[in-house]
Amino acid sequence: MKRRTFLKSMAATGVAASMTGAGVLTREAEAAKKIDIGEVKSVKVDVLTETSWFNNDIFKKNIMDYGGVMTNQYTIPWEWDNAGGYSTLITVTTLEGDERKILMDFGWQKEWMDYIYEEKSDVASLIEKNEIDFYVLSHFHLDHLWGIESTLKRKQDITLYAPKTYYPEDMALLKDKAHHKAKDKNTGKMMHICKNDYPHKGKLILCDPKGEKGEGIYRLMDGVAMRMFDVPILFRVRGENVLYFNVKDKGIVTVTGCCHPGVLSLLSYARKNFKGYKPYGCYGGLHITLFETWDPKFDDIIKGVKAFKIKKLGCNHCTGWIWAEKATAAGVPVVKGTDKYKTYKRYSTVAKASNVFLTNGDTVTF
Amino acid sequence: MNASTETEKNFNYFFGLLNFAAVFCIVWFLWYVFMNPNTVMKLYTPMYGFSLVVVFLSGIILMTKVIDYSAFKDNLPAKDNLILRGIILTVVSFILMLFINYIIFWGFIGKYGIAYFSPDSIVAAGGIGAEPFTARENASTAIVYFLTAFLWISLLWSVGFGRWPWQKLSSGVVAWSRVFAIFFFVSIVYAVLFHPHVCYLFYPAQSKAGVDPWWGELVGTGSAFFGLGLVLCILFWIIVSDMLWEGYPWKLLQKDGEDTFVKGLITFIATFVLGIIILFILTKIMNVVWDEAFVGGQYTDGPDFRYIHAGEIAVFFILAVFILKNYFNNFPNAGPLWLKAVIRTLIAMAIGMLIYWFYYSPLAVFFLARVEGFAQPDDKSLVWTLLFLSIIMIQWEFFEGWPLKKSKD
Repeated sequence: MKRRTFLKSMAATGVAASMTGAGVLTREAEAAKKIDIGEVKSVKVDVLTETSWFNNDIFKKNIMDYGGVMTNQYTIPWEWDNAGGYSTLITVTTLEGDERKILMDFGWQKEWMDYIYEEKSDVASLIEKNEIDFYVLSHFHLDHLWGIESTLKRKQDITLYAPKTYYPEDMALLKDKAHHKAKDKNTGKMMHICKNDYPHKGKLILCDPKGEKGEGIYRLMDGVAMRMFDVPILFRVRGENVLYFNVKDKGIVTVTGCCHPGVLSLLSYARKNFKGYKPYGCYGGLHITLFETWDPKFDDIIKGVKAFKIKKLGCNHCTGWIWAEKATAAGVPVVKGTDKYKTYKRYSTVAKASNVFLTNGDTVTF
Repeated sequence: MNASTETEKNFNYFFGLLNFAAVFCIVWFLWYVFMNPNTVMKLYTPMYGFSLVVVFLSGIILMTKVIDYSAFKDNLPAKDNLILRGIILTVVSFILMLFINYIIFWGFIGKYGIAYFSPDSIVAAGGIGAEPFTARENASTAIVYFLTAFLWISLLWSVGFGRWPWQKLSSGVVAWSRVFAIFFFVSIVYAVLFHPHVCYLFYPAQSKAGVDPWWGELVGTGSAFFGLGLVLCILFWIIVSDMLWEGYPWKLLQKDGEDTFVKGLITFIATFVLGIIILFILTKIMNVVWDEAFVGGQYTDGPDFRYIHAGEIAVFFILAVFILKNYFNNFPNAGPLWLKAVIRTLIAMAIGMLIYWFYYSPLAVFFLARVEGFAQPDDKSLVWTLLFLSIIMIQWEFFEGWPLKKSKD
């Protein structure tokens, strides 16, 4: 059977032979179509915060009480004390040796984000000194967007890339000083869930899968591209922006918020579309066992990651500790974190001594 | 000319369309109240709502195809009042759903036998991820799998084996015998196709209770969505042959008008092979649309998604078969059976594609509160399609087609 042969060859060589299209184009035509995104010297990722919530059980209870993962996130009065956030500082060193900084995602709870920006990193000062080139919102999930006031109160006039697939509540939070509330079904009271009194005033680039020139990507700088994957996501969200870096002499690195489309799908996109594709690494939430549960398909992802021959896998957030531990045990080159997270005023209840997560305060360089 | 032929000739297609529109609205209302993730009950979590719908449909199948309640019609309350009887049977099927889900699975099997059928038992066992939400989703997944096996075997038995080997015995004996025989085979199918997946829903995997999914190397995923997709593709052929092909070609294997073992066996083998063929064709079509899936791929790249999506498509077609048969009088009704069967199958496939288009169009964002797009792991079109099938079955089995079809004679 052709399919079996294909799958076996994938496992053996890591080469997805049929990923070059639907058989319509020849290899030469495919190669000619491929995009050169340029190169960077290196990419450094500072994990500002990856602990979107601190206690899984509380988070899941909120979900269960208000109708499951398909519910609109704005209708759940999330337990405020359990909220943290996801945010990443990316430092790109260009081939010329210049350093350029990107802030990806803005966390969830404003107080937590203030603490992260002011006490646990120099992001507050970087923003105020105009040292951040632009902001990127990966997607409109609560733990990536709702803490945006902490960022925008420091600087509102800055370019922001966000997925085009927003809902009115999302845009109101970005632009209209929204104060969102959700009804507590036990008390009937409207509870504060998020607000932003500092509307974004810079250029807002709403990204779609066509890209800026119909190339499917947005060129952010030489060697750095972004693609918007228009996929449906839990909590009524849709679409995710993903960053691609082409690191000289190493290869493609992806940096994601939650990686909903799947880490291997991102790499297969790069393989099909980027000239000189060579897999190297990835960083971010990889959206696998976010609730620390298991499924046979998570074993499939471990096999697939090995087949793709990723050299450096930095993960956290919605990846799930148990997946990272199993992947490490299976020989996946997972970048280990440190105990630095223990110096933060709060940390996740599922954090383990195995340090298979790059967690708060950790850094990885590609 | 017999009564049913008279009905076929006088069938009013406009009323059929109206009736279908009314049923669509009823399903929409039920979805809004029970499933819509932003309204009242919010049962579409998704697996909890999924399991309740599958249990409900299975209860209806149990009553109509396994026990064959119509054989006992004269003993039922309100035997001369079609509407009242329909209401009573609908209430019974609803109570049966509650009984099977909460008493049989959660309260009995899950409590005293296999822990993963009960959310409470999973939570009580403790360990990573064993909290109420995930526990309920996992227990529901196991129930869905078990009853998928039930739907397959019960409909296969109904279409293939019929009353064999109890043709000469009373309806009561046949009903009981079929129940035990069907559940015997259901247990085997479940253990082989689905149980290994459920054992791997926990961490660490329950490897002493269930083997490592044996199909993993063969199909590129350890997920039992492979088995689920396959079973649903097989079901498509069972239902098509029963409803659109009027029981043929299997009826040719009857002996003296009675069902035989050979008929059942051939029905099993043929629908199994046809199921594999349609699964293969559908996955090939998906390869053209989304490129080849690969091990570890997610969303449309995942082999697991491709298999369940093949099953979802099969059920879109099954829904189309029910619509054509019941609301459009199994059009056409003239000409030789083989020609009618071909045309009906083509029409049903066209209707199925129309339903597919509807489900993935912005219309479903309005009607079902979906998020537009494909392959979100928690988006299960089967919940809506099986709910739709349940309501159609209630109208045609419990209310005997009322009000579209006022009387059979």
